[in-house]
Amino acid sequence: MTLEIPVCEACGRAVFPQRLLCPACGARAWRRESVASGVLEAAADRGEVRVGVVRMPPGPLAIVRLVSDAQPGDEVMLSMDGEVPVASA
Amino acid sequence: MSPRAFAAVIAGAVESPYTRHPPEGTTTEVLLADAFVRALEHTGMTREEVDGLGVASFTLAPDRAIDLAWKLGVRPRWLMDDGNGGASGIQLLQHALRAIDAGDASTIVLLSGDHFGPADFKQLVDNYNRATARHLAGIPHGGPNALFAMLTRKQMDEHGLTREDYGRLAVAQRRWATLNPHAVYRKPITLEDYLAAPVVAAPLHRLDCVPVVSGADALVIRGAGDGVRVRALRAFHNHDGQEGDGLRTGMADIAAGLWSDAGVGPNEMDVISVYDDYPAMAVAQLADLGYAEGDLRGLLRRRIEEERLPVNTSGGQLSAGQAGAAGGMIGLVEAVRQLQGEAGERQIDEARLAVVTGYGMVLYRYGACANAVVLEGS
Repeated sequence: MTLEIPVCEACGRAVFPQRLLCPACGARAWRRESVASGVLEAAADRGEVRVGVVRMPPGPLAIVRLVSDAQPGDEVMLSMDGEVPVASA
Repeated sequence: MSPRAFAAVIAGAVESPYTRHPPEGTTTEVLLADAFVRALEHTGMTREEVDGLGVASFTLAPDRAIDLAWKLGVRPRWLMDDGNGGASGIQLLQHALRAIDAGDASTIVLLSGDHFGPADFKQLVDNYNRATARHLAGIPHGGPNALFAMLTRKQMDEHGLTREDYGRLAVAQRRWATLNPHAVYRKPITLEDYLAAPVVAAPLHRLDCVPVVSGADALVIRGAGDGVRVRALRAFHNHDGQEGDGLRTGMADIAAGLWSDAGVGPNEMDVISVYDDYPAMAVAQLADLGYAEGDLRGLLRRRIEEERLPVNTSGGQLSAGQAGAAGGMIGLVEAVRQLQGEAGERQIDEARLAVVTGYGMVLYRYGACANAVVLEGS
């Protein structure tokens, strides 16, 4: 499933996770924007599970399930498993 | 603008001893009741004098402060539940002091504590808030360790810190814990022990993570009489909307006002309690309060290791344990006991001033709550 993040209809500010009012302008109407890839900023190995933080091009960071051996600085592909962001090679 | 000074005082602080493996049948409400009874005994009060009750607990639900009032037989004019974890102790204190100064109550007991069964802890970390339940639990992220592992790595990279540096804080706190009969871990550790502990989520190893314990803490707040005075209290929550680096806490925004309200500076403190869910966050708060002057390595290698800074003198959560929401009160209880000369073998000579911080509530990437007090003994 494609990763979609909320973008403020009024000012274009992207957020993740969803907020109620836009942190920038206070408006409350949102559209969704697909994000295909991002840059891995940090990763942690927790046993067999890898957790990562990915900077998405519209700005926000997502905490992801990291299913590759990508290292910080690498570009990763993004998708969604239910409501969980997933990053792969 | 500075907030008005407080007239109400902290009359006493107690702890229901923490246990790693509590006896069968232990419940959160029984631990809170134990802390309540100890608070009455310690301050020589009767239950009937208590006209205010506040509580912070993750596991008391579905009960609330009013259920506790009922079961303890307290008839409060002021009642408060607080759910702000590591910031709950100072949060409750802030409201209790104001309530007494405004005449809404005269004697308030503040309680915090938790007992976690094996399933309770997973339930808590997976459902910490809606964002966690929706976007993190399914990773599975396994609770905050992985998040703080990444923050710790970032702090290491930015400040040239090594695992040995964080070990200096863990070893120093354990040294204090050996002098605290209520700490769950009292056996001294060496830097080698710290480095050899099993990895949890690199760079975090076991001695970077708080042991989950059962226990409760209590404070008694009164409008008159002897006690510890609150010279300053500042709070600032959601300081960056979770859009910052996570290593600059809300403490950085309140530090100048806190010291200015208190009329003293960081280097005049005899006792320091910072919220130590992980060493990196204790270091971040110390830096935000003005203890590092940009040099985090120097802070850890000189001031902490050589005990020039008395930080978390009960052993802190890293050694005394994290009894859930009581983690938000443990630092206050230790500071009050030190300022009242009740710290036993770990008593700091002529302790008169203390700073205590609260930090926590990981909304998504890191803690969003920050508050701090400067306390003065009588």
